[in-house]
Order: sequence, then C-alpha cells, then structure tokens
Amino acid sequence: MSKEKTKMIHIQIDGKSLEVREGTSVLEAALQAGIEIPHLCYHPAFPSEGSCRMCLVEIEGRPDLELACSFPVKDGMKVSTQSEEVTKARKNMLEFLLAEHPLDCPICDKAGECKLQDYYEQYGFFESRFEEKKEKKEKKVEIGKTLLLDQERCILCTRCIRFLKEITGTRELGLFNRGVHTGVNIYEGNPVENNYSGNLVDICPVGAITDKDFRFQTRNWFLGSGPSICPLCGRGCNIDIEYHPGFPHFPVPKRVYRIGPRENHRVNGYWICDYGRYHYSYIDEDRQEQIVDNKKEKLDSWERVLDFLKERIKKLYYMNKTSRIAVLTSSWLSNEELFLIRKIFQEDLNVEKIFLTDPLPGEEDNLLLTPERSPNSKGASQMGLNFKELDLNKLAERTEVLLMFGSHITEHFATAQTQEAIGGIETKVLLNPHISDLNSLMDVVLPTCVIAEKEGTLTNVKGLVQPFSPVFEAKGHCRPEWEVLVNLAKKLALNFRYYSPFTSVKPIFKKMQKEIGFFGTKK
Amino acid sequence: MEEKVLTKNFGVKNSHRIDVYLERGGYQAVQKALQMDPDKILEEVKAANLRGRGGAGFPAGVKLGFVPKEVEKPKYLCANADEGEPGTFKDRYIMTHDPHLLIEGMIIISYCVGIHKAYVYIRGEYEHIAQQLEKALSEAYDKNYLGQNILNSGFDLDVFIHRGAGAYICGEETGLLESLEGKRGYPRLKPPFPAAIGLFQCPTVINNVETLSNIPQVILKGAQWFVNKGLPKDGGTRIFSVSGMVEKPGVYECPVGTSLKDIIYEYAGGLKEGKKLKAVIPGGLSAPILKPDEIDVPMDFDSLMEAGSMLGSASVMVIDQEKPILDVLRVISDFYSHESCGQCTPCRIGNSWINKIIHRLYREKGKKEDLDKIIRLASNMKGKTLCPLGDAAALPILSLTQKFREELETYTES
Ligand SMILES: Cc1cc2nc3c(=O)[nH]c(=O)nc-3n(C[C@H](O)[C@H](O)[C@H](O)COP(=O)(O)O)c2cc1C
Ligand code: SF4
Ligand code: SF4
Ligand code: SF4
Ligand code: FES
Repeated sequence: MSKEKTKMIHIQIDGKSLEVREGTSVLEAALQAGIEIPHLCYHPAFPSEGSCRMCLVEIEGRPDLELACSFPVKDGMKVSTQSEEVTKARKNMLEFLLAEHPLDCPICDKAGECKLQDYYEQYGFFESRFEEKKEKKEKKVEIGKTLLLDQERCILCTRCIRFLKEITGTRELGLFNRGVHTGVNIYEGNPVENNYSGNLVDICPVGAITDKDFRFQTRNWFLGSGPSICPLCGRGCNIDIEYHPGFPHFPVPKRVYRIGPRENHRVNGYWICDYGRYHYSYIDEDRQEQIVDNKKEKLDSWERVLDFLKERIKKLYYMNKTSRIAVLTSSWLSNEELFLIRKIFQEDLNVEKIFLTDPLPGEEDNLLLTPERSPNSKGASQMGLNFKELDLNKLAERTEVLLMFGSHITEHFATAQTQEAIGGIETKVLLNPHISDLNSLMDVVLPTCVIAEKEGTLTNVKGLVQPFSPVFEAKGHCRPEWEVLVNLAKKLALNFRYYSPFTSVKPIFKKMQKEIGFFGTKK
Repeated sequence: MEEKVLTKNFGVKNSHRIDVYLERGGYQAVQKALQMDPDKILEEVKAANLRGRGGAGFPAGVKLGFVPKEVEKPKYLCANADEGEPGTFKDRYIMTHDPHLLIEGMIIISYCVGIHKAYVYIRGEYEHIAQQLEKALSEAYDKNYLGQNILNSGFDLDVFIHRGAGAYICGEETGLLESLEGKRGYPRLKPPFPAAIGLFQCPTVINNVETLSNIPQVILKGAQWFVNKGLPKDGGTRIFSVSGMVEKPGVYECPVGTSLKDIIYEYAGGLKEGKKLKAVIPGGLSAPILKPDEIDVPMDFDSLMEAGSMLGSASVMVIDQEKPILDVLRVISDFYSHESCGQCTPCRIGNSWINKIIHRLYREKGKKEDLDKIIRLASNMKGKTLCPLGDAAALPILSLTQKFREELETYTES
C-alpha cells in the first residue's frame, strides 16, 4: 500500500506536463505546479467536501466537468482549467454565490484578502442579474470571545465547522435550517471556546467570521507583513506579523495589528494558538526605548554604557575576582545570544554565577501550546551553560557586578525581596525590551529588542533550530542583545580575533555549530 | 394488463399478519434461499434484470456485485422507505398491506451479501406504518425468520427501524446514511459509493422498498419468469402511483413497459369528467413533463429516457387543461427550493433564485427575459451539483418552461 502511494505518474494540466504523486487530487497537483484553480471549500487540512463547486475542470474523456478538489489524478490524464466550458461554469458559480451575497465590501474587514472578491475580479466581472429580494440573516452573532459571525456573508463552505471537528474536536459550530436559509451558528449558549478559535478567521475564505481584535482597526492593504517565530511558548510556531508602517503625516497608534500562522508542517501546520495570536501587545506596549541612567553618570549612549561596563568588569578581571560577577540569562534570548554569554562569561571570564530566569510555566494544551512560556528553553538547555540554581542570596553574595537579561525574575520573587537582596551590589545593569518594576532597582537599564526586531535562531521544544529575522526596525535606543554582547567582548579585548568577525548573526551561528555539538548535528 | 404478483396480497383480510402471509405462501423464498449458495442468489438477481424502483433504475444485481466480498468490517443493508418523491405512494402500500414481503426480501439480500444488521429508513410521516412494521418484525422474530440462527441455517440477522424527520434529501442514499448515523442529512461526495464505503464507513446495500419486495418472487419463481413479466433489460412489474385529475387515482401494478396512455385511460379511468389532458409527469416530480401527444410511450427506463423524460419512481401525475401551468411550475419550484439541503452552491442558490422569480410573476407582470433567466439558471444548475437533487429540480423546470413557454408568456409583458 505505502509503496503504491509514493508512485509517481504523469499528467497534463493546460498542456503543461507534470509529474505527480499518485493519489493526489487534480487540485493539489495543480497547486503544487503553481497553476491556480479557484476553490473555496477545499482546505488542505481536511478531506474535501465538494460543496462550493468552484473548482470544476474539464478532464479528457469525462462527459461532465469534474471537481478538481476530489478527482484523483491518473496516469496520462489531461486536464483543462481554462476551457470555455470551465470558465463558463466558474462564472456561473460565482454568479450564484454573489446573488445572495450582501455587497458589504466597503465595510468588510476581509475586503482586499477575500477569495470571493478576488475570484470575481479574476473570473467574474458580470453585471448583477439578481432582481429579487435577498435573504435576511443574522449579521452579528457573537460566536466566541473574539469572534463575530455574519451569516449573510457566509458562503457555507463549512471550513469553520470542519476545523472544529477535525482539528480541535470541540465541534462548537453547526449548520441550522435548510436550503437557502441554511446558516452556520453555535448551539445555543455554547460559544466557540478553545485555544485555536482565531484560526477560524483565517480559514474563512470570506468576511463571515471576523476578529473583534482586528475589526475596523485598519484596512488590511495598509499592512506590511513579515515572517517571524512566535516567542510565547516553546513550540516556536511560524507566524506572520502584520504591521502598519505608518502614514507620512498621520501617526498610527501601534505597529502590530495582527498575527497569523505561517504554514510549516514540521512545527505548527496551518495553525497557531489564540494565546500566541492575541498576546502581541508586548511588541508595542510598555517598551523600554531609552537608556535609563539612575546613577546620573551621563550614561546616555551605548558607547558610554559599554565603556562603563568595561571598566567594572576589567577591574574585577585583573584582580582575578570575576567570581564577583553574576549573570542572569533567560531563554527569551536567541541561541546566538546564549552562546555569546557562554563564551564571554563562562569561558573567557570564568564567571560561575550564571542563572536562568524564565517565565513561570503555564497551561499546555494537546495541540501546540507548551507549558514553557519562552521560545528557547531547549536551546538554553543545550548550550552547555552551567546554570546555578536560582537563589537570591547566592546571586547577591559578594557580587559586585550584576548583569540581568530580561525581567522574568519578577515572576519568581517579589520586587521588594529582590531589592533587598541585590540592593548592596555596586553595579546593577538590566538589559530588557520592556519597562518593568526592576527599573528603579537598577543603576542602568538598557533597551533591547524583541524577537520581531532582531535576527537569530531559536530551538523549539522538539529540538528544531529555526531562524528568524527582523520584521521591522527597533525603535529608540533599542539594540539586539547579541550586538551588545559582541561589542562588550570587543571592548574587553578578550580575544579580538575571535569576536571581530561577529558583525552579524550568521558567523556567530557558524561558530556555535562548530563548538556546540547539538547545533552541529542538528544543523 | 394489470398484473397482480407483487400486490397479490393487497386487499386480503389481515394480509399484514404473519399467519395470513404464511398461509399465502410467505417465507418460502427465505427457506429456499437459505439452502442456496449466496453466489447463486446473486446470479439469479443479476439475471432477473431487476432495476431499482427508487428512481435511478440501477440494476439491483449489479449493485449487489459491487459489495466487496472479503472484508473485515461488518456490512449493512438499508431499505429506503423514505418515499419522498412527490406523487409516489407505492412503498406505503407494500408496507401497510404486505410488510412481511419487504422483510423477506431483506432477509434474502442480507444472506446473499453476508449482512447481519439491516435498517429500514422510513419517512417520519409514516408513523402508523412504522408501528405496523415494528409488529411485523416481532412476528418474524417470534417465528425465527429474524434473529439468531435463522431456521437453523446458522445465519443471523437483526432488522431495525429508523424514522426520518421529514426531509426529501434523506431519501437520497448518502443523505440517508448520514441521517441514519445521526447527522444532518447532507449527501456525500461520490465516489466512494455506499457499496464500498457506506453506513459507518462500512460496505452498505441500499435499495428501495419495492426493489427489495421483488426479491422473494425472483428466488421462488426464477429470473426467467421475472424477465418474462417485464422486458428483457427491465424485468418484472411495477407499482404505478397514479394521481391528479383522473377518475380513479391509486396504485396499479402493471408489467414494465405498459403504455403510459393505458395506465391513464385504461386503469385509472381516464380524466375526470369533462376534463381535458394538458400534461403528464410520468415518473415523480423530478421527471420532465410530457405533453398529450407524447404519452404513447412504454413505461420502462429506456423508453422514457428516449422520450426525454424518466420513469423514476413510476409516479404518474395527470394535469388537466384548467390547471394554470404557472401553478405547476410553482409547485415544482416550491418543493425543490424548500427541500434543497443547502450544501452545494448551485442547488442552494439556483433553486431559491428561480423560486423567487416565479413568485414575482404572481405579484406583477414579468419580462420575457424572466423566462430566459429561469432556463439559464436551471441549465447552470444542471450537471453541476453535488447530488442528483440539483438535476431533479433542473430537468422538470427546464422541460416545463420550454414546452409551455407560450402560456407562461401570458404572465410577462408583451
Ligand atoms: C433527492 C433524492 C431523493 C430520493 N428519495 C428517495 C426515496 O424517497 N426513496 C427511494 O427509494 N429512493 C430515493 N432516492 C434514490 C436513492 O438515492 C437510491 O438511488 C435508491 O434508494 C436506490 O435504491 P434502488 O436501487 O432500489 O432504487 C432519492 C434520490 C434523490 C436524489
Ligand atoms: S463562516 Fe466562513 S468558514 Fe464558516 S462556512 Fe461560512 S464562509 Fe465558510
Ligand atoms: S503554540 Fe506557542 S508558539 Fe504556537 S502560537 Fe501558541 S504560544 Fe505561540
Ligand atoms: S444538489 Fe441540492 S440537495 Fe444535493 S447536495 Fe447540493 S444543495 Fe444539497
Ligand atoms: S473546492 Fe472543490 S468543490 Fe469547493
């Protein structure tokens, strides 16, 4: 059986010869070859249902048009996706769909990324011949915490229903009534309640399910989009971050408007969880954008801060007292950053007091969300860093220089407790992308970048090392931690030859691959 | 000539009771079949050229042959007693007057295919018939025609009755299966066909009540006898449901191939006094309409196909001259737009759109283009839908709008 499944056969679509796997559908074969066949109900994650009838194609030797989404390829098959009969059928199907469709485009969130709109422009362009009264249905059903359903816009592709059946198994949505009165809805009093509900907005091909979080906030065509990795748990879901680049003379309140899944079958398939989708405010809110200099020593530029740090560290180094340095890392840092911490502090400076402070674990679910609430705990555990058990007294004991990455320690200890413990430390520096309670306890706070603003790699819970690059530039004084670490190493003149090629992330990654077995074997 | 073989017990006192049924030769076919090799039964049914009585006319033996022989999974039989096609009322007669005939047919088919669980999917409105059928089942269990080790043959069979909830689409075989599984009656994409993947994903035989009720006589009297009753490629007799403006509406059993004209004028007594024939729908509401000069046609699947219509469920509806054709069109369209399950685009929207145009013609004078639009919409629906209901709606609407265009134009501005 499995042998047969991998058999390759030859077909032709629109005269183009293709080699495809036996058993794939005509639609899948076409999509793989970059040939577009319009489709609305088909979604690669579910078995095809054949309800929208948009994907009709002509197959040589068949009397009627066939559904591309369910018709399996056969050796020697000849398919036409552009014949007169096909284009006519397609147009007629669009006419049916649009006959009862409210023309809400001007006020519909989906406009600009709506399949019905796109197909009309590509294959339709007819005058409306519908002169009858349209059906009235519910325009604003609250089907979930963040979801609104407009039954009039719904084209009944049942993708939403199948998602809740096949993927989450929660089955909150169903079909009610019959014929032209058919409508999607929740069963009375039982809203869509699962950690993947936001995906319904993505898979709805039209503007029937909209996201309260995004509704009427902006127009999707104003948004730019960049690939990234979700840092909110250990899964490392591949995402697209959609952001507003701003208007020339009109400020927009924030950059990020929407997070969506980016297909990756090794990690998250087509989906992301709601936790990762809706908690993007960390990118724009409470950001530390300026250097905080509580010592009033004119530490107002990175150059001065680094010089200041160099002095403190060097002093201890020459006195052979680097045991008086403590470093608090976190697995919100990239592999490269953790590697640099290992190189500089553990190896070059012989620092012993290296700790890991991560967010407290959260709930997991049986799909994607892991209990870890940071994106690189696996990477941190594989880096060969000799983490000490986190203990405020040990951390503070005889410490003269404290370097803290991130403010997750606040989740482990009350701020007052931390303050008492570290109050006596002479030099306390925090590198953090966010404003936190710790700011007032520190001598210097240095603004750093979030994942969306920097480059690097992260290791997900399964051990997959995934690269990410900046979606947009950092604001204010924010700099990526790897750059700060490289500059510090250079200032310290520890091993000039070693650190000087590190002008970007790539050479650091290469070195890490060479030196740390885990990354070498795993690529 | 009327030919009472299938309906021979109709009208006999207490014919629904097993003792009466047995007295009149009932369950002999089961006794005979249980001695036979299942393959031999299959051969006999194939040779009988018994074509499905539910509407599509697919040869019953061929369909049985599609069921895979060696499978791990259980196999099922479903008797389709949904009888939803407007104008059709023959299955209810069988189940009312001769429920054991159906049960006997089901036992033989189950034995032939190796089925141990069978269902009767009966339309919701037939409540009293379902109750009667239930009684008949318990009679059959009592006499060990059902249950464990039937008549000491080692063969087991249980039969269950499932009542529908009032949807035409649940008579469509895959809609029926979904409904039987407890889901919304949405037809499934085919292939796979039920014979391979049916009820609960297992191989399933689905046959109309009348089809199954023919099985006992095929076994008792043989395929050749059956073929001789009808036509070589369409054997046996059929129960015609005749309704409309005739003197004697009702069910008439006649050989396959009997002329439509004879059915109307000989058996049903012709049109009601003083009425003149305007049109005939020969095979249930889904069948394209025939004009008076087209009714001299033998009532079998192939002949009616040639005549541009279909035999379907053999339900003859007679329409007289006084009936406005717009009313007929409206009734057809009302039915299909009401019964469209809503799953696929062309049927869901097409039927409703056509229906809205027709209703507008009652309110105000239409345009000539409205008739063209009905034709265009019905044509765009035809052959493009997920299940045959789309065609079942498009075909009669097309034929009626085309054949009676002149009369329909009186509803439009000239
Ligand atoms: C919309 C629709 C409704 C149907 N309703 C019935 C019905 O009520 N009873 C029936 O026997 N067949 C009905 N059929 C036909 C069934 O799908 C199927 O062909 C039949 O039950 C097979 O049995 P047969 O081969 O014995 O005719 C219907 C088909 C369609 C498309
Ligand atoms: S709400 Fe959207 S996804 Fe769900 S059936 Fe309607 S169009 Fe399809
Ligand atoms: S599962 Fe984890 S990585 Fe994926 S979206 Fe949710 S929080 Fe982000
Ligand atoms: S053709 Fe009509 S009844 Fe059949 S699946 Fe489509 S909408 Fe439902
Ligand atoms: S994509 Fe094939 S029918 Fe909808």
